[in-house]
Amino acid sequence: MSGFLEFEGISKSFGDLKALDNVSLSIRQGEIFSLLGPSGCGKTTLLRICAGFEMPDAGRVLLNGKDITDLPPNRRAVNTIFQNYALFPNMTLRENIAFGLQIAKVPKKEIADRVETMLQLVQLEHHAHKRPHQISGGQKQRVAIARALVNRPQVLLLDEPLAALDLKLRQRMLVELDGIHDEVGTTFVYVTHDQSEAMGLSDRIAVFNHGVVEQVGSSTEIYEAPRTSFTAAFIGDTNFFNGRVCERIDSEYCQIEIEGLEPRLRFFNDKNLREQVRVDLSVRPEKFSISRTQPAPDPLSNTLRGTVEDVIYLGSHTKWWVRVNEEYLISVTSQHSRFLLDSKPIRWNEAVWISWHADDGYMLERYDENDEALLVLSDAGLPDDIPPDEEAE
Amino acid sequence: MPGQRMKGWMISLPSMAWLTVFFLLPTLMIFIIAFKPANPLGGLGEGWTLRTWLELGNPNYPSIIWRTLRLSFYCTAACILLGIPFSYYIARAPERRQRALLLLVIIPFWTNFLIRVFAWKAVLHPEGALKHMLVAVGIASPDTMLLYNEWAVLLVMVYTYLPFAIMPLYAAIEKFDFALLDAALDLGAGRATAMRRVFLPGIRRGIQTAVLMVLIPALGSYVIPDILGGPSSEMLGNKIAQRAFADRNLPHSAALSALLCLCVMLPMLMGTLLRRKRTGGAA
Amino acid sequence: MKRSRLPGLTVLILLVFFYLPIVILVINSFNLHKYGGEWSGFTLKWYVRLFQDDAVWHALRNSLIIAGVSTAASTVLGTLAAYALHRSNDRFQKIHHGLIYMPLVLPDILMGMSLLLFFVAVGFQLGLTSICIAHITFCISYVAMVVLARLQDFDFSMMEAAYDLGANSWTATTRVLLPALAPGITAGALLAFTLSIDDFVITFFVAGPGSSTLPVHIYSMMKHSRFMPVINALSTLLLLVTFVAVGSSQLINKQKGADLP
Ligand SMILES: Nc1ncnc2c1ncn2[C@@H]1O[C@H](COP(=O)(O)OP(=O)(O)OP(=O)(O)O)[C@@H](O)[C@H]1O
Ligand SMILES: [Mg+2]
Repeated sequence: MSGFLEFEGISKSFGDLKALDNVSLSIRQGEIFSLLGPSGCGKTTLLRICAGFEMPDAGRVLLNGKDITDLPPNRRAVNTIFQNYALFPNMTLRENIAFGLQIAKVPKKEIADRVETMLQLVQLEHHAHKRPHQISGGQKQRVAIARALVNRPQVLLLDEPLAALDLKLRQRMLVELDGIHDEVGTTFVYVTHDQSEAMGLSDRIAVFNHGVVEQVGSSTEIYEAPRTSFTAAFIGDTNFFNGRVCERIDSEYCQIEIEGLEPRLRFFNDKNLREQVRVDLSVRPEKFSISRTQPAPDPLSNTLRGTVEDVIYLGSHTKWWVRVNEEYLISVTSQHSRFLLDSKPIRWNEAVWISWHADDGYMLERYDENDEALLVLSDAGLPDDIPPDEEAE
Repeated sequence: MPGQRMKGWMISLPSMAWLTVFFLLPTLMIFIIAFKPANPLGGLGEGWTLRTWLELGNPNYPSIIWRTLRLSFYCTAACILLGIPFSYYIARAPERRQRALLLLVIIPFWTNFLIRVFAWKAVLHPEGALKHMLVAVGIASPDTMLLYNEWAVLLVMVYTYLPFAIMPLYAAIEKFDFALLDAALDLGAGRATAMRRVFLPGIRRGIQTAVLMVLIPALGSYVIPDILGGPSSEMLGNKIAQRAFADRNLPHSAALSALLCLCVMLPMLMGTLLRRKRTGGAA
Repeated sequence: MKRSRLPGLTVLILLVFFYLPIVILVINSFNLHKYGGEWSGFTLKWYVRLFQDDAVWHALRNSLIIAGVSTAASTVLGTLAAYALHRSNDRFQKIHHGLIYMPLVLPDILMGMSLLLFFVAVGFQLGLTSICIAHITFCISYVAMVVLARLQDFDFSMMEAAYDLGANSWTATTRVLLPALAPGITAGALLAFTLSIDDFVITFFVAGPGSSTLPVHIYSMMKHSRFMPVINALSTLLLLVTFVAVGSSQLINKQKGADLP
């Protein structure tokens, strides 16, 4: 099934720099689709190609089945919310919102009605006569949304629309954006480098890295089942292990041998790997449980013994760095559901047991030691082995 | 987009064409016409000649060129020396007073340049106000001549070009981070040392700009020596005008203009080189 | 730290230095004494004489015509130039920038002389037209610089927003770019007008018979000392015009400022 907005093999270079490399995406009608990735990975470039401000070197953009690649921006049923809003300073808010309709020669009466409806939607009825420099950042944001939506675009493009706002306002605007989307049902393509924004708002997310799409999926898919080390490390926090399948226990689980770690570890073998195949694994810090005493043995659970090297208390949860077998520094987090002052928390230098269920680790398809996102974790003393070819069957 | 490139090219065409025809071409012509013979009607003769250039060897000229350079240099030095404390005061004053002071500096210079020069002529006139005052106080004798000498020219040059120095100096000082001065004092520097080692290097760019802004028009001075100077205080600009209007010898004034042009280019080139060396050294 | 008195003192002395000649000039315009050395009584006769001098009015008319024409032309040319300079930075525009910049730094006597040579060489009749050409040439640079400063503050994503909302180049330019640049263009035009009205040196070189502008006429009056008090009167009037213009523009600015939150 083909999507509503399709990118087919889009490539774009600026001089020597490949900003986008053969990007293909299929976006469904009415969904909020996020482009997530670190700074400079090409998100804005893809958005500008969609809006018509840039021409791709190769590839096509299809909207509702029609090729719009060569259409100039003013003839696309696509509107953009610019990162800095780009409100016209010489016009009032009402004139700003009416601009697109005036250009389209919509009858005056209808313009007035539609602008009024929009002003109500974004709750700016009382500010309509003001000029952009007389209103706050959040209000500007809403004018920009109204100015775009009043044209009833088929797709609304938002380029880091909340980047200029402070944290509190950002959270409120996120809720409002979601509400507006529910009301108008337009397809949103949302660019951000903030993972919590993307996860909270989107139906689906495309993770970008260096002009390449690493993974497309729902927030949960991307968080729980990252395909690559980049996705795993960019979205949230994680621990990597590189090992070798030494034994398939049954159709579901396998034993994995990891260099420098004493007990063999048990993982859910969703990739159906054969024995002796090298594999890279990710275990999220919150999947561990940590205790002073050895947990009851369980065939489906992995247990390691280590020493707490560092503790960071973060209010809602605590983060421990646990040194295991000299070589591994594993990050573990634990939520505080009970009143913490009454208990005796685990401290620095204590000997602890950490354990996790075999289902909670995840096998990666690709591991790239040079990912910038991994560098934070490099202290964990990863083996020097060359990253293996993954064998997904 | 190729269309965009094309449009940018077309938009710059009118001004490019205009300035090429009416600025670049005429400026080059100065150098060409200097090799043309004059014709007695005040136009240009046929053929080419080096005679004009040889005439510049006339002992009169070196002293005029020397005077032009000397007066311009004094004027620049005076403008910088007066401009720095003045701009310093403005830059450190409260915002409202800053604006008022800047306005006060600019207002006299919105009045016509000729009128300002003329006003000085009245002040310095042998029967003018200043003379009467100085004689009354006993500084000057009744036959001291305030007008028609180099000092009068220099004084009014400073008067005219001082704002050109103040503006860039003010801009630089206003941007200067005065915490650096406190830091220098804190590290044990005396006030003079702090000024010399921290403040002046900090506003170096402003000083460079100010020097160029004063020196270049000063070299081209013509009206001031013409109105306030005597025959003994002529500058290059006067000679250019004299040759063009009194003698109707255009090649001769072209050669003088070429000379002035070179005098002006020299400090500009030096400024550019200095800047390039600085940035090159930093990289 | 004790603050140095030197800067404050310099300011005081320099302000006296700046205003003394102007004040004396204004006083002398009402002084019966011809050279203004001493006060010999109040009179308005210099003003009367000024108003009877037809040549002054003729020169003023020339000045206004020239300023009007060169302001209009240089505003258009300078604005286009600024736009081209801002939009691209290739070698072609570097040359363009050099051409715009040079007239600002060369002494005006060189520009006057070179234009005179040019007009003589191509056989162009000196007169109002040659003066207009000269004025347009130096005004372009000033207008371009002022508009360029304004352009640097203009956010070009505004233009993209206009395209995005369906505007074509023409609507985007007239409804978004030009209104945003309007203050800069107006300032550039005002500057061009002032510079044109004020210019003496360049005009002097390219003026022909009968095309004297006000400054050129004042200069010829200055050569004869019998005109000195009349020039005082004329200067005082010009000063008055300047002060009224500056004062009202300050007032307008202040009122505009009060509109803002
Ligand atoms: N007009 C341009 N000319 C040259 N290089 C460009 C241009 N536009 C973008 N790039 C480069 O292309 C790469 C991708 O840029 P892009 O703006 O798409 O990044 P981004 O993902 O939006 O980053 P950010 O999160 O910082 O906005 C960057 O390395 C950028 O420097
Ligand atoms: Mg971006």
